[in-house]
Amino acid sequence: MSGRHAAPDPMPLIDADVHNAFADARTELRPFLPRLWQEFADRHGIAVPPAGYVSPVGVQREDARPPSGGIAGSDPDHMIKDHLDRYGVDYAVLTGSHILGVSTHFDPDWGSALAAAYNMNLAVRWLDRSPRFRGSIIINHSDPDAAVREIERCAADRRFVQVLMGAGSNRLFGQRFYHPIYEAASAHGLPVAIHPGTEGAGTADTPTPAGRPTRYFEWHNIVPINAMAHVNSLVCEGVFEKFPGLKFVAIECGIAWLPHLMWRMDKNYKGLRSQVPWLKRLPSEYIREHVRVTTQPTEEPANPKHLLQIFEMIGAPQMILFSSDYPHWDFDSPGIALPGVPADWKERILWLNAAELYGLSPVTSGR
Amino acid sequence: MKRHAVAKEGEIPQGGRKIVSVGRLELGIFNVGGEIRAYRNACPHAGAPVCLGRLSGTSLPSRVYEYIFGKEGFILRCPWHGWEFDLRTGEHVVDSRVRLKSVAVEPGKSEDLEGLPMEQSGGTLYVLLPE
Repeated sequence: MSGRHAAPDPMPLIDADVHNAFADARTELRPFLPRLWQEFADRHGIAVPPAGYVSPVGVQREDARPPSGGIAGSDPDHMIKDHLDRYGVDYAVLTGSHILGVSTHFDPDWGSALAAAYNMNLAVRWLDRSPRFRGSIIINHSDPDAAVREIERCAADRRFVQVLMGAGSNRLFGQRFYHPIYEAASAHGLPVAIHPGTEGAGTADTPTPAGRPTRYFEWHNIVPINAMAHVNSLVCEGVFEKFPGLKFVAIECGIAWLPHLMWRMDKNYKGLRSQVPWLKRLPSEYIREHVRVTTQPTEEPANPKHLLQIFEMIGAPQMILFSSDYPHWDFDSPGIALPGVPADWKERILWLNAAELYGLSPVTSGR
Repeated sequence: MKRHAVAKEGEIPQGGRKIVSVGRLELGIFNVGGEIRAYRNACPHAGAPVCLGRLSGTSLPSRVYEYIFGKEGFILRCPWHGWEFDLRTGEHVVDSRVRLKSVAVEPGKSEDLEGLPMEQSGGTLYVLLPE
């Protein structure tokens, strides 16, 4: 099946996970680094700690390489042609490449300097290029004070539609250590998103609490465990009671685990609520109201109806955002994604949920 | 309705309880702050002998990271799964639509009550059950 050549769908489309990349990290970031960190970058280069898992496919799609020869996702013009125009994407929410590891540097000041430089470069290299590109404010979550300063600096530029941090960490995201980040984000009406890839990198704990997966395949299978742990923590620590306007987006972390987590949390709440007296509702109600998940990589049960049954169990069509993960190897084409999903759900998933979450209106001309 | 004697008045001290059998039913008779309450000894959740659970207080609804302990002596926590019930109303703390099965209890004229300590004086407590 060739979704690549499908005519653009008449329905608006917002892609919640598109990976822009550096053509050259040092050239792009150096102008935005303080002098001391320029010197550091000149001597040691710019890199974030790797998680250490390598895919036999490669992460970047071979066919998405720009004519310039750089890595896939590194050329804004090529991305517009190869992805946005091809599929009729009204908005692409950019989530970066080789940058989320800023939260796992041993030196948090280097991590924070890189995060700020990334955001400044994003604004001029990508957001200035097309209004269809929307940015994520990358933060270093290991230093909440610096993260808050970065949110404050970027929030006035409304082309940034969310705060984004790597999902790898050495403590759970509901804990009060992180609350200043949520306070700043919700003060500016910005959702906070996480994206996998840094689990096990640098200062982050192992990708699973039971140990390190051996290979990329095994690692990629179990990535959602991390999102489950963070969502559980956010609810239990009362983050959504403390910041009732906050939305939390778990990008690329799967969907089908939600019913299990919701049921387990609700059941336990009925007996163990005295430990979390600040929760006023069933845990699943906080999840439905405050948490968003993205479609890619769509779970593909042998019987596609089973995925629809999972959606029904979640019972919250507003929770799910379409994402393609362009230009990565496990890309979901908008043309063939969501088989059998009812039309009203499809409209929510393909654009309405993201439009509401990010305050975007569909682009009606130029595609 | 039929009256069944279950305890002497004054037999159950404040904060105390007595488990009794009436026919095939098991009941918990509680003195909740001076008020006598009787409930079926079967949890509405999963049928556990709820009346054997721990009596205590609980953390009251609060702001995040704030702890307010209250309802002391009014909370019965089921020994299976830990659901908390407010003995004054029988309501589950999480979902007030879920309640312990309440049984009407009333005092009556004193009469001999087999199995009760004879030194207890005063009237008798009866539960009212369908015949």
